[in-house]
Amino acid sequence: MSDTQPAGAYVEVDPTTGPAGKAERRPKSAVGFDAGDDPNAPLLEVKDLSVEFKTEDGQVKAVQNLTYTLHARETLGIVGESGSGKTVSSMAVLGLLPKKAVVTGEVLFRGRNLLTMSERERQTIRGRRIAMVFQDALAALNPVFKVGDQIAEAINVHADETIGTDDERVIELLNLVGIPNPKDRASQYPHEFSGGMRQRAMIAMSIANDPDVIIADEPTTALDVTIQAQVLEVFERIQDRTNSAILLITHDLGVVAGVTDRILVMYAGRQVEMGSVDDVFYEPSHPYAQGLLASLPRLDRRRDGERLYRIKGQPPSMIHLPPGCAFNPRCPVAEVGVCDVTRPELVEVSPDHRSACHFAAEVRVGTRAVVT
Amino acid sequence: MTLGAEPPAPGTRSLREDRERMADIEPGDMAYQLEEGLGRENLAGMPEDGEAQLAPGVEPQARSQWQLFRRRFVRHRMAMVSLVVLIILIVLCFGATWIAPFPKNNQDLLSGSLSPSRHHLFGTDRIGRDELTEVLYAGQVSLAIGLAVAFIATVVGAVLGSLAGFYRGWTDQLVMRVTDLFLVIPQLVVLAIAIRAIGQTTSTIALILAALFWMYIARVVRGQVLSIREKEFVEAARACGASPFRIITRHIMPNIIGPIMVNATLAVAGAIIAESTLSFLGLGVQPPATSWGNMLSDAEGVVGTPQAYLLYFPGLLIFITVMAVNFLGDGLRDAFDPQSHD
Amino acid sequence: MASFIIRRLLYSLIVLLVASFVAFAGVRAAFDPLAKFATVKDQEVKHRETVRLGLDKPIYIQYKNFIVKFVQGDWGTSDSTRESVASMIQRSMGKTLQLIIPGIIISLVAAIGLGVYSAVKQYSVGDYVFTTASFVGIAMPPFWFGLLAIEFLAIRSKDLLGLKQNPFYFVGLHSGNGNSIDADYARHLVLPVLTLTVQLIAGWSRFQRAAMLDVLSADYVRTAKAKGVPRRRVIMHHAFRNALIPLVTVVALDAGALFGGLIITEQIFSIAGMGRLFVGSLTNGDAPVLAAWTIVAASFVIIFNLFADVAYGVLDPRVRLS
Repeated sequence: MSDTQPAGAYVEVDPTTGPAGKAERRPKSAVGFDAGDDPNAPLLEVKDLSVEFKTEDGQVKAVQNLTYTLHARETLGIVGESGSGKTVSSMAVLGLLPKKAVVTGEVLFRGRNLLTMSERERQTIRGRRIAMVFQDALAALNPVFKVGDQIAEAINVHADETIGTDDERVIELLNLVGIPNPKDRASQYPHEFSGGMRQRAMIAMSIANDPDVIIADEPTTALDVTIQAQVLEVFERIQDRTNSAILLITHDLGVVAGVTDRILVMYAGRQVEMGSVDDVFYEPSHPYAQGLLASLPRLDRRRDGERLYRIKGQPPSMIHLPPGCAFNPRCPVAEVGVCDVTRPELVEVSPDHRSACHFAAEVRVGTRAVVT
Repeated sequence: MTLGAEPPAPGTRSLREDRERMADIEPGDMAYQLEEGLGRENLAGMPEDGEAQLAPGVEPQARSQWQLFRRRFVRHRMAMVSLVVLIILIVLCFGATWIAPFPKNNQDLLSGSLSPSRHHLFGTDRIGRDELTEVLYAGQVSLAIGLAVAFIATVVGAVLGSLAGFYRGWTDQLVMRVTDLFLVIPQLVVLAIAIRAIGQTTSTIALILAALFWMYIARVVRGQVLSIREKEFVEAARACGASPFRIITRHIMPNIIGPIMVNATLAVAGAIIAESTLSFLGLGVQPPATSWGNMLSDAEGVVGTPQAYLLYFPGLLIFITVMAVNFLGDGLRDAFDPQSHD
Repeated sequence: MASFIIRRLLYSLIVLLVASFVAFAGVRAAFDPLAKFATVKDQEVKHRETVRLGLDKPIYIQYKNFIVKFVQGDWGTSDSTRESVASMIQRSMGKTLQLIIPGIIISLVAAIGLGVYSAVKQYSVGDYVFTTASFVGIAMPPFWFGLLAIEFLAIRSKDLLGLKQNPFYFVGLHSGNGNSIDADYARHLVLPVLTLTVQLIAGWSRFQRAAMLDVLSADYVRTAKAKGVPRRRVIMHHAFRNALIPLVTVVALDAGALFGGLIITEQIFSIAGMGRLFVGSLTNGDAPVLAAWTIVAASFVIIFNLFADVAYGVLDPRVRLS
């Protein structure tokens, strides 16, 4: 993850990285921890997270038993299609779900359970220790306030003093994310920015307080491919500076391949595979993951006259999930009596590489061929 | 405030739509929108749509547009109640000849000014006419005017509004300028002067009201048509060589029938209030015809007297009718598009 | 932005001009100025009057004469009272303003409060009560409400509460010939203003509630929460500011309509304002007053429409720059 610098686009600001340098910019505590943090605990630990909604048609089980750990400077990609629960799970981390969502499990941020905290405590963490970047920057930024004001607000809310749009910190942040003419831009409104620039502005807003974790929910989905690359590069750059961990939520495998260290694949609210990018891409151990990868159009594996592979069927209803494995109805290698009866647990197929399939090991090496 | 048919501007939800949601939704949450999606469409492969995989044993149900509409409408309790109430009212009023306890205009000076009792449910007026009877007969006029005005205004407004929205150009300009003009001059003035100039019979009043109301509907329809005509399926129809008439009637109209119906119901309410306001000022229906409005006007003098009860009933009926019509419109709006913010 | 205002201004003037013509012609058509001479047998008298009033000229010329004098401040004299129309309207407007100004202020404050509360505490008992109340308020025919208010709040309450006098008055704005702003004045104001505010609050609060609900479910509110912005600020700063935009438009439009729209209320409470003036002139067939009245009322509507457009531009930066 190198620091690529578009010529003349921004000015090198504070070169110090690492715990000491970071501490100088952190507003509240000296060492990078709040009182109550456990310095030995991992940065973010999600344990058995489940989210359910009550709707008029029944109980929606949006997320089931999600478990993962996130460490500093790590980028974890959460991959899944619409409705797989990836967004809901990250909203649950920050406590942004409606009250009627029933959230169970634990979300430990440096040892403190975010789910059981008071709302006030959580407010001190949001935007300061854990920040979020949303998908559609035009909708996610308030149209009636200047961009600079909104960035300044991110700082003001967690600080004792109040800075304005023209404060140097705001300009510096805009600079950092590669927005040219930051001084003028800060006084403009969101609709005056282009799509890519808006997204960068949102990123700037999220890093205003040097958060430990940045949750990016489909940050590039609404953008052109060329702009996507630029925005991803911004993420890389800021991660370098701030040592934050990034939770990148997307449905785009290409995005994940370029930027993440580890991946977590979700299907129907459950995690089906988890491991390093290389592990999952080169040795997918779950039929769904294999299917996803196989359906990617690839230049090097073209067979003339052949159609693209696709996974048959549709995702299941989140209210009436099939018994046993959620992927069973669509799975080419499922076994009656096993897959439709018992829900598969996560098993380790290689070091730090897990899959939730009864036949994970066979799927991985190909003895159970998912794609023929 | 205004006579009701300028569309509730962006964001007016319906009472029912809100009530049907679960308690305590925190604003601004994406998951809420997710849940909306889950509750409505194919986000998670609901059984009605597409080929979602179901747990074995669960049967998918195909539902037509009409069934979906009915289902949503029926769920809106107030709208259903209102529909029933309105039907009852219409039956009672138009069936007054058979239902009313006394004949119309039955002056009985010996029974003058009696408070409501078992014999005279709504009491009697100064010259002994049974209030209940009078109210029922008056209802014929008020309701008839309300319905007629709404009907004519909707038809005319929908046609002109569609033409304006579809063809744009000078048709559009003409319609817009004319409606602009009459929206600027206070309605009561327009109505009063027109009635004075033309005549004060029940039919002319209805026609004049319709001549004013069509403008509101036309504006709404025009707006709807403008937005629909940009949609791809209209382009597609045009590319297939469909004639403008066909495009309007088969493609555009079905999609805007919702707001049209909703505004039509608002027009009924507006017309009833307008008619009663006019009657109250002496510009409305003339005796021997009675309407709720001119009954109220007659009752203006009884405030503070023991005959004050004469005040309650005509007004109450106007109120009930308008409430019911409003709820009905709410239910229709909801049934046509549960997520609509128009 | 400036060009936008100028364009709207010009357009408004044109509409006003056309509206004034329509008013003039309409009144002319509805009320024959020679009506009182209908029974006079002497044709010579009729002919003289016709020429004197300029009725032999085409309608356009008549209108031109009328409008030229109008903009110079000469609004003619009333057919019935022989008083200058301008001063009649001025006096009536003064009375109407005494209802409109408190009415708008109270209604705006209440509607915003109720609307925001209802939206934020959606589905609470309070929300349900207010929403139902607003439905009732909208459906309530204003004249019925006014009469009921008089009956129950002014008259019956005296006996019910054991008071010596009616707590509220309902004839005019002052007892006797008084002119001062005192308790007597207040007691006169309460009921008519109440009648007015009920309608306004019902409509506006419902609108505000809807606008707030819309805004509260917007993405940028979610972003603000994710930034750690406290709930209060999210509602009042982020959400409300956006909900204000459509509300201002509606309020401005309704306010503009009020100047010619309090006809029923003034009638019921015997207030000698614009509404009463209109009804009176209508009854008497007082054409000059009617024509001038309509133009004045239309002007207010147009002015407030313009104001709504400008306010929208001020409040919504997205509009400003297009």
